[in-house]
Amino acid sequence: MSMAKISEDEHFQLLAFLLTSARGCVDEPAIYGPLRLIDAAERLINIIEGKHQRKVVELEEIRELIQKARDYVVTNEEEFIKALDQLTLKISRIIKRDVITFGPTNSQYTKNGK
Amino acid sequence: MDVLEIIKGRRSVRSFSDKAIPKESLYAILEAGIWAPSGSNIQPWEFILVDDPGLIKKVKLVSPGLYGLPKALIVLCFNKKRSEKAGRIGPSLAVMDISMAAQNMMLMAYSLGIGSCPIASFNKIALKELLSIPEEVEPVLMVSLGYPSRWPEPPHRRPIEEVVHLNVYGQNLRR
Repeated sequence: MSMAKISEDEHFQLLAFLLTSARGCVDEPAIYGPLRLIDAAERLINIIEGKHQRKVVELEEIRELIQKARDYVVTNEEEFIKALDQLTLKISRIIKRDVITFGPTNSQYTKNGK
Repeated sequence: MDVLEIIKGRRSVRSFSDKAIPKESLYAILEAGIWAPSGSNIQPWEFILVDDPGLIKKVKLVSPGLYGLPKALIVLCFNKKRSEKAGRIGPSLAVMDISMAAQNMMLMAYSLGIGSCPIASFNKIALKELLSIPEEVEPVLMVSLGYPSRWPEPPHRRPIEEVVHLNVYGQNLRR
């Protein structure tokens, strides 16, 4: 039987985040549910870009919008919901085009949003 | 800085730089915590300072409300046995005591140029397991600490005239 350290694995990190968020959402304000989901979405962007070792233009646009939405959670619920609508539209457009655009080849991949 | 300046300047910081926090600063922040008031001076608190980067990452895994990668965490707990001295109201008093200790810590941190954020969104079962916290000790709040990569803008505050009632409820304070 072989063993490996798991806590550095981004999929495992997402797993831990989802499970602890699930429990937290039982007691926390309802608005924290969508907040945890967009946080998880940003972690997924990191995983996707890590897989490609490149920034993805469309995903970076989504990341930027997620970060903006997060700022609204406790300050302006209406703007937060608007940002969620924009995120939905953005992801729909990516699905429709079914194409992603990689950043310039000379740009060094760095994990963002951490 | 005067006290009101420190109170107004403190922000919840969720993005930290790589700069290390000097040990003396951490000590000063913890000392500010133990000088908070507590019901019947019971001081029901136990503070766990986490400064091991590997352990901070592990705590982050079970703390959905912990943003950024802080240089230190203070887990503020209350000791159930100690809080029992205050009778049936003990546990709720302990939460108030801990909140006041946390505020002291965050104000001290800000006065030293260090950012902080109070975090209640963490999984208690997981945290107790990770930090070997005994059954009779209850984690209530976590404070993340680090030099900020940016200070957030101040959020909206309800005006004094709306919040404060003069003598009787419903009679607003006028300047």
